[in-house]
Formats: sequence, C-alpha cells, structure tokens
Amino acid sequence: MSKTYWKGVEELQNDAKFVQLKNNEFAEHLPLEDSSNTLKAVQEKADDITVTPRRDFLKFLGFSVAAASLAACEAPVRKTIPYLIRPEQITPGASNWYASSYHDGYDYCSVLVKTREGRPIKIEGNTSSSVTKGGVNARVQASVLSLYDNARLKNPVASGAPVSWENIDKEIAMKLQTVVAANGKIRILSSTVISPSTLKAIEEFSKKYPNTKHVVYDAVSCSAMKAANKESFGVDEIPSYNFDKANVIASFDCDFLVNWISPIEYSHQYAETRKLNGDKKSMSKHFQFESALSLTGSNADQRFHVKPSMQGAVIANLYNAIASKASATSVNAGSVGDLSKAISTLADELWGNKGKSLVVCGINNTAIQNLVNGINSLLENYGTTIDLDNHCHLRQGNDADVASLMDEMSKGEVGALLIYNCNPVYTSPMGKMFGDAIKKVTCNVSFADRADETASMCQYICPDHHPLESWNDAEPKQGKYSLTQPTISPLFSTRQFAETLLAWSGNTTNYHEYIAQHWSATVLKGKSWNEILQEGVLEGEQLASKSYKSSANLNSAAEAASKMSASGVEMTIYEKTGLGSGIQANNPWLQELPDPVSKITWDNYLSVAPKDARDNSWKQGNVVEIKANGASVKVPIVIQPGQMPGTCSLALGYGRTAAGKVADGVGVNAYPFISLVDGQMMYAAGVQINKTVDEDHKLASTQTHHTMMGRAIVKETTLEEFIKKPNAGNEKELFSVKVGKDEKKKTAEELNLWNNFESGDHHFGMSIDLNSCIGCGACVVACTAENNVPVVGKDEVSRSREMHWIRIDRYFSSDADPKEGESGDIKAMENPSDNPKVVFQPVMCQHCAHAPCETVCPVIATSHSSEGMNQMIYNRCVGTRYCANNCPYKVRRFNWFRYTDNPKFDFNMNNDLGKMVLNPDVVVRARGVMEKCSLCVQRLQEGKLIAKKQGRKVKDGEINTACAQSCPTQAITFGDYKDKDSMLNKVWQPEGRSYHLLEELDVQPNVFYQTKVRNV
Amino acid sequence: MSRVIYGIYDDETDLMSGIENLLSKGVKCVDAQTPFPVHGIEKLLNVPRTRISIASFMYGATGTTLALLMTWYMMVHDWHINIGGKPNFMFYMNLPAFIPVTFESTVFCAAHGMAITFLLRSKLLPGVTAPIPHPRLTDDKFVLHVSVKDESKLDEAVGFIKSSGASEVLMKSLQFA
Amino acid sequence: MSAAVNAQYEAVVRDPLILGKKSYHQMTEDICRPVEGKANKYWWMAFTVSATTMTWGILCLCYTIGNGIGSWGLNKTIGWAWDITNFVWWIGIGHAGTLISAILLLFRQRWRMSINRSAEAMTIFAVICAGLFPLFHTGRPWLDYWMLPLPNQFGSLWVNFNSPLLWDVFAISTYFSVSLVFWYLGLIPDLATIRDRAITPTRKFIYGLLSFGWKGTARDWLRFEEVALVLAGLSTPLVLSVHTIVSFDFATSIVPGWHTTIFPPYFVAGAIFSGFAMVLTLMLVARKVLGLEEYITTQHVELMNKIIILTGSIVGVAYITEFFMAWYSGVQYEAYAFQNRAFGPYWWAYWSMMTCNVVTPQLFWFKKIRTSMMATFVISIFVNIGMWFERFVIIAVSLSRDYLPSSWTMYSPTFIEVGIFVGTIGLFFTCFLVFARVFPVIALAELKTVMKKTSNQYKKVGILKKEN
Repeated sequence: MSKTYWKGVEELQNDAKFVQLKNNEFAEHLPLEDSSNTLKAVQEKADDITVTPRRDFLKFLGFSVAAASLAACEAPVRKTIPYLIRPEQITPGASNWYASSYHDGYDYCSVLVKTREGRPIKIEGNTSSSVTKGGVNARVQASVLSLYDNARLKNPVASGAPVSWENIDKEIAMKLQTVVAANGKIRILSSTVISPSTLKAIEEFSKKYPNTKHVVYDAVSCSAMKAANKESFGVDEIPSYNFDKANVIASFDCDFLVNWISPIEYSHQYAETRKLNGDKKSMSKHFQFESALSLTGSNADQRFHVKPSMQGAVIANLYNAIASKASATSVNAGSVGDLSKAISTLADELWGNKGKSLVVCGINNTAIQNLVNGINSLLENYGTTIDLDNHCHLRQGNDADVASLMDEMSKGEVGALLIYNCNPVYTSPMGKMFGDAIKKVTCNVSFADRADETASMCQYICPDHHPLESWNDAEPKQGKYSLTQPTISPLFSTRQFAETLLAWSGNTTNYHEYIAQHWSATVLKGKSWNEILQEGVLEGEQLASKSYKSSANLNSAAEAASKMSASGVEMTIYEKTGLGSGIQANNPWLQELPDPVSKITWDNYLSVAPKDARDNSWKQGNVVEIKANGASVKVPIVIQPGQMPGTCSLALGYGRTAAGKVADGVGVNAYPFISLVDGQMMYAAGVQINKTVDEDHKLASTQTHHTMMGRAIVKETTLEEFIKKPNAGNEKELFSVKVGKDEKKKTAEELNLWNNFESGDHHFGMSIDLNSCIGCGACVVACTAENNVPVVGKDEVSRSREMHWIRIDRYFSSDADPKEGESGDIKAMENPSDNPKVVFQPVMCQHCAHAPCETVCPVIATSHSSEGMNQMIYNRCVGTRYCANNCPYKVRRFNWFRYTDNPKFDFNMNNDLGKMVLNPDVVVRARGVMEKCSLCVQRLQEGKLIAKKQGRKVKDGEINTACAQSCPTQAITFGDYKDKDSMLNKVWQPEGRSYHLLEELDVQPNVFYQTKVRNV
Repeated sequence: MSRVIYGIYDDETDLMSGIENLLSKGVKCVDAQTPFPVHGIEKLLNVPRTRISIASFMYGATGTTLALLMTWYMMVHDWHINIGGKPNFMFYMNLPAFIPVTFESTVFCAAHGMAITFLLRSKLLPGVTAPIPHPRLTDDKFVLHVSVKDESKLDEAVGFIKSSGASEVLMKSLQFA
Repeated sequence: MSAAVNAQYEAVVRDPLILGKKSYHQMTEDICRPVEGKANKYWWMAFTVSATTMTWGILCLCYTIGNGIGSWGLNKTIGWAWDITNFVWWIGIGHAGTLISAILLLFRQRWRMSINRSAEAMTIFAVICAGLFPLFHTGRPWLDYWMLPLPNQFGSLWVNFNSPLLWDVFAISTYFSVSLVFWYLGLIPDLATIRDRAITPTRKFIYGLLSFGWKGTARDWLRFEEVALVLAGLSTPLVLSVHTIVSFDFATSIVPGWHTTIFPPYFVAGAIFSGFAMVLTLMLVARKVLGLEEYITTQHVELMNKIIILTGSIVGVAYITEFFMAWYSGVQYEAYAFQNRAFGPYWWAYWSMMTCNVVTPQLFWFKKIRTSMMATFVISIFVNIGMWFERFVIIAVSLSRDYLPSSWTMYSPTFIEVGIFVGTIGLFFTCFLVFARVFPVIALAELKTVMKKTSNQYKKVGILKKEN
C-alpha cells in the first residue's frame, strides 16, 4: 500500500473545517472587493464553496492579460544602488591597476591586476619583471575567474560542518598540543612554496611544534633534476635556463614552452631567438625528441620520434657523440637504430655552438638527468645558457620524501598532517592509499580552497585565500622577488595559509605586517616598500653564474638509463596547455580553451598514431580501455598525427571528482598511471589497450579539418631561403591589367574599384608574427576575459558553435601537398602526414577596409570606422547571419542562445558570483546577435581619452589589445598606421615577410601576418 | 423623359447582330452587360479607348523617382556611412547597387496605382451593390441597354429589340453609377 | 455567324482544350460546382492531413522563437542551410504561376486559361511559405521591421541599400502584392458569377462584398482586359527580376560556389522548372478531386511537360557551365568548391540533384511518358525534390567548405528545422484546398471567351479525346 502524506496537522486530525475546505480549489477564499453586493453573497458562500463569478473572472482575466502584456513590452527594470560613502581610490568607471604576482604551486607569473569598482576583472603580465617579462599564459589569465568560483568554500569546515575560525583554531591547537605531547610526527605537505615569508612562517610553526617536517610535493615533479644536480655538481637545486642565449636547443620529452618549470619565462626567451625583426637574420635551431606531439615539439625545426623507454639510450648516445668531440671518456650506451644519424647531426650542431647551446630534458629520472648534465657540462653551457647559481625556486618537490611520508602515515606514525595547496588523493599515483592513510592521522587539516578529493577526506578544512585576495611574496629565482597584494577583500570567510600557521604558532601579527617585517629585515635593504609594491617586483643582485663540471658516475647512469624498458604500448603522461596539472580544472575558460595541438576542448583522450589507428581499425572517438600498473580507465581515442607509432599519450588534470560542477566527470584521471621508478615519479607507462567496450565518445573539437589543402594560408619558408631573399615564400600573385593598349602586372591590392573614404587621425592595425607564435592560447583566454566572451560548453562546441573571438588555427602538412604549380589530389590532401610539420595561425577579425560582411548587412549593424575598424553594432543586429556567411575568415560568432542567466549554460555567466568577472566596458551580447573581435575598441577609446586629457598624441605602444598584451612571445604587434614611426609601420614590410591573409580577395585587411621561417 | 430598357440575348453572336440591327433602325444602344468580354462590341457601342495604361506609366515613373530619391537621401545625403568601402559619398558611384530597389518600386507603384485607378474608375469597391438586370447576366445571358427618348416610343423599341433576336425584354429601372 | 466571331475562328487541326459538349451555362455549372456543392471525402482527407502538418510546423516555429536559432543545426561556418534553401525553393515554385498567367498571356497562349487561376493562387501561397523563412530565420525576428526603410530611434540610421537582403525585401514584397492584385482582379467577374448564383443571403452578401459589385458593362470589360494586359506586362519583368535578385543573395557574395555570374538566368530557369513541376503536381490532383478532367486535358499536361524539358535542359547546361567556369577561372577556391560538391562529403546531395533535375525530365522526350498522367505526376515530384537539393547544394555545401579549412564544418538539420519545412508544405496545401473550395479554380469568364474556339463541340471534332 502506498504511503499517504498529510497536507498538515489539520488533515491528520481530520479537522472538520479543513476536510470541507480542502475540497475547494482555493482553501482560503479569494480576496474579492466588498463593494458590490453580488460579491458580498460570494463572501458568505466562499466558506462552503469558493466560486469565482463571471465579473471577477473577467477582472482577473483582464488584469492578468494587462500584466502579461506590460511585462512583455517592457524589459524588467534593474535598480542599482550608488555608493553611500565612496571608497577611496575607486572612481566608478575608471579601472585601478595593482601589481601583484601569481603562484599556485605550478605556474609563477608577475602580473598586473585590473580592477573595476573594486572587482578584479583582468590579469595581465607585468613588464617590469625580468622573469616573466610581461608575459602570461592561459592558466594565469584564467585564474581571475577561479577567484569567482562558486565551488570555493565559504568558511572553515570541521568534520563536514561549517565552523567559525575561533573554534577551529582552538580545536586544532588543542589537537596539535596532544600530538606534540604524544611526541607524534607533524607533517606539512605542500606544493612548492616560493614565498620566503610563508617559509619563515612554516619555520616558526616547526619551532612551536617540534618534529614538524615540511614535505614538498609537486603533482608534476622535477625532483630527479634536483637529485641529479646534487650528484653531478653537489648543488641540490633547479637551475635557471637562458634559452635566449642558445643557438641550438635540444629538448627531450620537454614541453618547456607551456608546462615545464617556468614556461612563461622560457617561451619569451625562446621567441627572442626565433624573431627575425629588422635586420636580424639568425634564429635558433630547435631539435625535439619525443613520442607525443607536444606544443614545444610542434614548434621545433627538427622533430624525432623516440619512445620514452628509448630516451635514455638516445641521450647516452648523444653524450658519446659529444664526448668523442670533447675527447672525454665515453659511456656504454645501447643502440638507437636509425636515430644515430639524427644524433650525430645534433651533436655537430651542439658542438659547433659550444657554450651557446642548451640541452633540456623533461624526463623525471635521475640517471637521464645526470647524462644531460654531463652533456651540458661538456658543452660548457653552465655559466652561459644554464645558471646554477641564480637557481630557480619552482618545482622543489621531492618524490622520495613524499614516498616516505606515505609509509609513515600508513604506519600511523604521523600525528598531524597539514595539507597545503596540493591534492595528493587526486594527483598521487597512490592516491587511494593516501586517502586511507589520512584516516590514520589523528589531526588532518587541509588548506584547500574547496572540498577537493583530498580535503573532503580531511577532518578540518581551513580554506586559503585566492592569490588575488592575499598578501604574499615570492622568490621564483634567487634574488628575484615579487609581491602579491590583495585586489579585493576576501569574498568568503577564508584565511591565508601562512596567517593560519602563525595563528597556531601563537604569532598574532597579521600576515601583511609579517611580510613587511621580513622584507625590511632581509630583502629591502633600504629600498622603499611602497615603490616595490607599486612595481610588483624587486630585482635583487644576481650572483656571478659559474661554470660547472659534472662529477657524477655517468657510466652507471648510462646503464641505468639504457636498460629502461616498458611492456605493451608506451604511454606518455603529459599536461595540457589549458589545465596543466589540473589545479584550475573547475575553470570553464580553461576547459573550453582548445588544446593547441588536437584542438579538442572539454576532454582528455588517448592520442594514438594514425598508423596504429589504421592497423587496429580505431576510429576517432572509439572508447578503449587502457590498463597499466593496477589502474584502468575507459578513454576515447584521438588519432593524432605526429604521435609516434607504437606509443600513445594521455593528459593529466582531468577526471576530477570533487573540483566543482564544471570539472567533475570531464575526462579521465591519468595520475594513477604514474609509477615510481628509482624513487622518482615516472610520467610514462606501458599500457594494454583493448577495445572491449563498443561505444563512442563525442569529442568537442573546434577544428575538424587539419590540412591547408595546398592553399597559401600560412606562408612558410626556410632560413636559408629567407636570407637569400627576404620575401621568400611570400611572392605576391600578380594580375595583368589592360590600361588602354599596354598591359600592367599588379597585385590584387593595387586593384581598387572605388575611391577610399577619408580616415580619421588614427588607423589601427595589427601584425601577427607566425614565426614567434607558439600557439599557446594565452591570447584566446585573454580575449575571453577582456570581451566577456561566453562559455558555451562541450555540447555546443561539438556543434561548432564556440564563441571565441580569436582562434588559433593549427595546420598539419600533408604528404599530398602540391608542389609549385601543381593542383594536387584533393582527397589525399585532406589527410595529414603521419609525422607532419605543424603551423599555428591566430585568426581574429581582420578588420577589412573592403569588408564583405559590411556590404551584406541589410540594417547596417556592421560598418567601418574612420579609424579602420570593422565595427559591430549589437543593438542594431537582427541576426540574419549573412555577414558570417560572407566572411572569408569565418571570425564572426552568432549568439545561438541566451548564454547568460540560462540554466542550459550553467557557467560563470549563470550565477552572480561568476558575473563579477565581467568587464563593464564591454556589453554582454543578447541572444540572436552577431559578435566578433572589436580590436578591443574599449581599450582604444580609453587610451585615446587619457591622451586627450593630457593634451597629447597617443604614444605608440601605450594602447594594446588584450591578445597582444597577453602574448608571452610578443607575436602580436598592435599599432597605428598613421603614426609614421610606430612599431606596426616598422614591421609592415610587403617586400619582406608581411602578407595579408587571402590577399587575392582584396578585402584589404588591417591585420597582417609575417611569414613563418623554419631553421632546417 | 428618357428611360433605359434591357434586351436579353442568349449568345454573344445574337447580341452583336442584334446591336447592328438596332443601330441600323436608329435605336440608341447605350451599353451592354456580358458575362465575358465580347470583342468588337466597344466599336458598335463606340465606347472610347481606355487611357488606363498611360496612368500606369505615370505611376511607374513616380515609383522610379521616389526610389532614387529615397536611396540618395538615405545612403548619401542624410548619413553616408562607410559600408565595406562602398562609395556612399557619391550617388552615381554607388548607383548600380540601387538599381534593383528602383526597379522594384517602379513596378510596385505602376501595378498598384493602375489597379486602384481601375477599381475607382469602374466603381468597383467592396460593398457596392451591382445593378443586375438579369440574374444569369454573369452566367450566359447578354444584356443590352437601350435608351428610349419618350414613353410613346416604348412599345416600338421593345418590338425592335424582340425582332433583333433578344429572348426577352426587361422594363426595370436600375441605378447605374 | 458575325464577323467578330469568324475572326476568332481557330484551325481544326489544333487539339481542343475543352472536351465534352459544353454550353456557357454548362461551364458555369461545372466550375462553380466545387464552390457551391459539399466537399467530397478526398478533400476532407487532404485537408486534415495538411492542416495537421501545418500545426506541427507552427509548433516547431514557436519553439525556435522561444529558444533561439540554436535549435536549428546551423553553426559558426554554416549560417544558412534549410531555412534559405526552403525560401528559394518556395519562391521558385511561385514563379510558375506568374509565368503562366503573365508570359503566356502576352504570348496569347489560350491553353493557359484553364490553369492560370490555380497557378496564380499557387504563386500566392508559395510566396507566403517562402516569406516565412527570411522572416523567422533571423536571430531576433521581432525586430525584422528594421529591414524596412525606416530611421532608427535616433533618426538618421536607415537601411543598407547595398545589401542583397534589402533588395529581397523590396522584391519579395512587390512580387507578392502585385501577384495578389493580379490574381484578385482576375477573380472579380467569377466571384460575381457565384454571387448571382448564390441562393442563401449570406453567400450572396459575402460574394457580393468580394466581387466589389461587378456588373460587366462593356466599359468594365474594356478596362479589365487592358489592366490584365498591362499587369501581365509588368509581372513578366517582375518575376524575372525577383529570382534574379534572390540569386544576387549568392552571386554578389564572395563565397566560392555562390560568387557566380551565371546565377540570375540559371535561377530563373530553375524557378520556372520547379514551378511547372509543382503546378503539374497540383493540377493532376485537382482535376481528379474536383472532376475537371474536361478542362485540364492531356494536352495541357503535355504542353507543360514540354516546358519542363526545356527548362530542365537549361538548368542542366547551367550545371555543366558552372563546372567549366570553375576550372576555366583558374581560381583554386572556386575549383575546389565544385569538386567538393560532386565528390566531397555531400556528394549524395549533388548527385540526387543531378538525377532528379537533369536526367528524369529528359524522359519527357517520349510522347508516351509525356502524355501519361501517372508518369508526369511521378516525375513532377522528382523535379521538386531535385530543385530542393539544388538549393541545398548551392547554399549549405558551398558554405561548409570555403576559404580557410580550419573553419570547415558539416551540417545536419534538427527535427525542428525539418518540422518547420514540412509545416510550410502543410500550410501551402491547406491554403490551396481552402482556395479550391471558396474560389472558382478556373478562370470562368476568360475561358468562356475561347469556348467557341477550343471546345471540340464547336470545332466539330467528332471523337472525344480518350482520357487516361
């Protein structure tokens, strides 16, 4: 018999009146006016039955119709409350900038934070930093949205229940005391901490609570490198690298452009060596040895396939090749087959550039790192391209310590565990074991900003501030300091880790004071705190960078390195440009950022070689099951040109289970496949791939076609050619024109039907250097942040409806690419080569002077400004989409749905917290209108206004678009054609590398590109 | 005083011959109502040639002018916007783009102007009650309007009409607008 | 016989256009019967079906308006697909009506008289269906009126006369209103007939209103014929211009596969082609359902089939020319666009278009097929399908692969889109069925003028034509 529920206690008691009333439609009688007597009658009647006489019915009807129609014809009024007392420094409508720095244990960047009405809305690079040099990457850009993440904890939590800071402090202090009394171990497990003050706080804490140990754990670890440096040179440090000093770069499984140690720094240095501005006619030569096509690999001049297990042998052989030149003793290395030729050429190149070369290796294996150190010391790179004295403080993680902590815990020896800024349950290969071990710890505290996989297992969560809410300092490299300052008062009842530690160790000074004191004691040396706070960075004095000779036993190293082997298909475990190690997985901007190489969003997947796919008849999206060291997951296949046959790769950072509704359930967790080899995390595994399940997984890709089909879209040449002839690969197509009798040859752009409009004081334009662009996608996120570009989610992206205003096209070369003057076989051209050359091309609105989109709009919703910009007038747009059809660059984006306040698109624009990131200078577009790149017109206007107020002309470089500003390699130059000596005019060399995309159409774009040059 | 009487014929051939016959007898045939256009009848009843096509031309000309004025005013004079670099600052330069609209508005005005004129001229409007001497006039009967000067001549006229092949003669008075 | 009638006497060798023993009254009876009598069960069946599909279409339309164009299968690269395909398809169909009534009138083709009324009606309804798509394909349909030459709230922002879409606005509205006028003026005398035959006062009143008090005096007829002639003269260039302008939507753009100077003639031919096919489809049904076999004869059908062969061949030539130009121009994008049509992922659309439009009509070279009702019906359906695919191939397939391969995408419709299209078909037939019950489907008065020349009774052609 089914349950019955009571409407209320009356029903339970079968109250007579209730029983009678409950049969009526309206239990209470309707509020009818008493004036007319008919209604009087009704009033009385209403007690037994509720009737609505015709008149009332009509009244209600009339009212509701009126109401409905009113509501329909008038947009709801939103009241805004003005400041009663205006806070200092906040001028409504004017933005404040604060210098700060971002470090989440993975990325470091010195940044400028733009705030509007007290809300941080945009992060940009800080040019006064000599580390990141004004660059940022996608993750740092996006971190501003993580600040407004709804999944963050709103207050401290004790055993699942929210508590006040006082109580939690009391409880934990008590517990710690008991632990100390029982003389149990106290362990602080954290990711790399580069903040001197925080380290000092930890020190204080360990003074207060003896036998405290600070264990540093990086999800993506470089501990082998430290170990190796200790063995080779007796320096237990991560060195600083100077890619800018290197003429030849050899990289082994090292994605230094986007993920390795300090990518923003390196990508900037790297680009320096690749640029061909002015009369610079030389560029570095980059060799990459890897199995999975990494972003770095796709930028390499020469890329060679090496299985992870073979890397050791290859490096050993390289060592021998160099050693023979340096007449040093060789080591006994395994054979490398057909790679020996590549190795000898590389050796020649390196030796030819002794002291101006660089060998880097991303493999977390001590033996291999020792060999690499050996090579670099033979090449005398220490003191030039490698600086071991002004070492780098990032990635200090120590895998051995972590391992020992693990068994301490499982043995139950640890009394208190404080987990700061790391998530071992998710990121450790023994995550599950760790989770169980936590239970054995009497006092376990997490400082995570959310109840993530680890924190949710902890008894106490003392949520930390977001970097944008905190005071902090950082020393990413020895002698290079930077400050973090709050740009908004904490959104929730959170407290900074260091401050919490201080509180527990009985120090009541607030952290801001604490840092100030520490600095004046150590780093300031009489410099003004305020100036540094304003600048954001303090460039301390640098030590002389000495040269080092390796003293490690390379023979044993070589043996160890060469005997590595793996069963089954070798899988590399890598990080994606968007998510990295997965710290910000709950950030929709990063989830929707297409992977630069595969162009796939909202997923990780098993990249396999086209050949393997053919042999095993795998199709894109087929779900396979992969098994290795105890772990197994079901993951979709992606056929990735450039992936080495017989290998595959899987990205970290996905498969979160407790990060928030955006991240949870997206992709699979690859961390369990990491294994501990010689005490170091091994980011590769031999896996079994079985297509047991017969299902397909929908992959959301922003680019479904991968070759250029023999079209001159990305113009390309080689360095030799370029030196011979500056417009190599950029020969303009000439069209013959008959003027009267004589026939002239003219370029498309010289042919013009009409007189041009007179333009204003400015004529803005942009240059994109395809030679410096590494395709990292920082510009995409920057643009998203600056222009309130909506996130549409996986489903819509898979329908090719992503809204990004700037995209990075990635093309693979094809074996069928036609030679000069051939037409080529169109079917064959569609297939990329198995190991293709890769090019990246950022494409945004080209702002054509003869814009095809403008002419076709019936309502003039898009027209041309006197400053050369193609403007979109959202309010005027009726949404015929004709403009998008007629845009040869396909840069226009249509609002297919309402992306704000729409539960179907439950991302940052669907909740008030997330909306705080919106840029008030840019309108949020309505449903049914077209949108596109505006060349950041709001920034242009602001810049011009400032100049006008100061009664001067706009200085070149003072206005910059979001994409150009964020580019870590400065591939994008924004400027004014009207300003004779602007950078833009300098780089515009039609006789050289400059060309307009699809110039034969003669739409006269204001954006131009610079030919890509390969140093092969 | 004069009045109009109606001769009903069963076939357009009878009607035509009838008219010829009556005219020869000097009877005044004013008008005829037929279920379908009977060609040649207008000559016999000497109905003047209609000038409606000329009117239509006028309307068309007006349409052209209006369109040209409109495009000039909206695109060039009031606010010449740079739309894809099209030379909106010079009317003649951008004229080719305006031709389709001009053509359409020409046709529009010509067609509708003429249609309206026709309806007004022939007093055809919703709500107008048609004077129908014979119910099968719009089916297969042909009605001839004969005007008779004075009552005395009435019977004679009726005789004439009968003899000219009319099946019957009606003596009702109808209001012809 | 009087001179007037003699002058119009027609050669005996011409096949009669009206069969059976007919008097003027008989004709009136025959043609007014469907309007005055009760609807037969075929009519009701047809009406129920089409009304239902129409309703379904309306629902889908409402859904689209409520949620956004995103409920269709379009994407960043393919901004138009089914919507504009259907628009062009319907417009094309509409053209036949005007063509039959206007151009054939100018050419003094008598056989048009039995079919022009319903052909014109078809035009009106087709244009209504067509008009729905541009109206509702916009992102914010409630602002469509901004496409009329009105200033914006602040006064001086008008419309863009460079835009083919604006030309469309003018072309379609002119075309629709002029066709409507043309059609209705033609109806007036026949409405008067029904008025005078009406028994019930309501009928009399309604048709009295509709017939504007027509009295049929010599003067009226004189003006009437003049007006008809001039309107025909105006509609002829109009109908050509309309599809020309529709083709400008594509011809003036830069999309490879759209940017083609051959489009205007090619579209017009295509329009006539599809239009005649649709007229046939409808006529063949109507003559059975309304029992008008003696007015819409084999000869009518055969004559129309001949026009279909002609236009079909023109279209075929156009297809080949396109390919030639793509190759001859030496523009790689153009060349690729056409290779892609034939051998790309949408090859099936292209080849079904080829089969339906180029191959099947050629069967009409055989008199047996040309004069067979069943065959004609089937082929006419084929042509309609083929012409739909033509537009799809031009619009969607060209868009799907244009200049930058990075943006190439595929397109597949959602059931919403399909629903709306099916809905318009429902709308079309609903309108046509209602029309067939309310208005005389054959231009009665006009047909009476030629009865004596073309009915076999008067031509003294002994044998009646065998119906098949």
